[in-house]
Amino acid sequence: MNVRVETVEGARVVVPEGRLDFGAATGFQAQLEQAIADAGQAGAPVVIDCNALDYVSSAGLRVFLLAARETQRRKLKFSLCALKPAVREVFELSGFTRIIAVHADRAAALAH
Amino acid sequence: MNGRHTGVRSDAANLPTLTNFLQEFWSAAELPPALAPPFELALEEIFINVVTHGSYNGNVPWVEVSLDLAEGGVTMTVEDDGPPFDPLTLPVPDVAAPLGERRVGGLGVYLVRHMMDVVTYARVGTRNQLRMTKRLTP
Repeated sequence: MNVRVETVEGARVVVPEGRLDFGAATGFQAQLEQAIADAGQAGAPVVIDCNALDYVSSAGLRVFLLAARETQRRKLKFSLCALKPAVREVFELSGFTRIIAVHADRAAALAH
Repeated sequence: MNGRHTGVRSDAANLPTLTNFLQEFWSAAELPPALAPPFELALEEIFINVVTHGSYNGNVPWVEVSLDLAEGGVTMTVEDDGPPFDPLTLPVPDVAAPLGERRVGGLGVYLVRHMMDVVTYARVGTRNQLRMTKRLTP
């Protein structure tokens, strides 16, 4: 899985591409922790743009949960956007859409 | 093409082998790609459960996976020769809990139960057998 981190209007936008499975989760967690630490310095929002994320399993959900906790602890805004249908289904079944803000697209996430 | 079968050692490094096996079955059977993710997820969750919990006294279980087309659906069977363990007895996670009280333990099996139509466990001889079936309707 490839992960890009962009700075857009002051926000850190993390863009995971491909499959977030058990094998990819540890690397993604490290990159996300780094992005959150950087955002924390600036008090910047963190957005995960999932437009290129094709698949997520419970190992990936765990990373999103840890990120939600860490951003809450640091009092940073945290949201996801642009979930593909297969990924959205996993988030909804897990109840994660009730504990993490999910927006339709990046513009909506940045505006919020 | 009705059924396919493969086997791997229960090592997390073998997950891509199983995912590829599933994807090859899917394209050979000309099934809609959009309907594959629940099976990919179920295969990963059950396999990783065996990887994480199935080893005992240095014995690493062997895992066999079969995929079969039948009656408008797909049946996936995952067997391992680890100690008896029925993942369907795992506690059901509270998916309505607030952020601070969320646990990820048990979430994988919870997802499998909700994404598949039928999930059954049996101890067959020296093997755990988990059989999952889902109809293929978009």
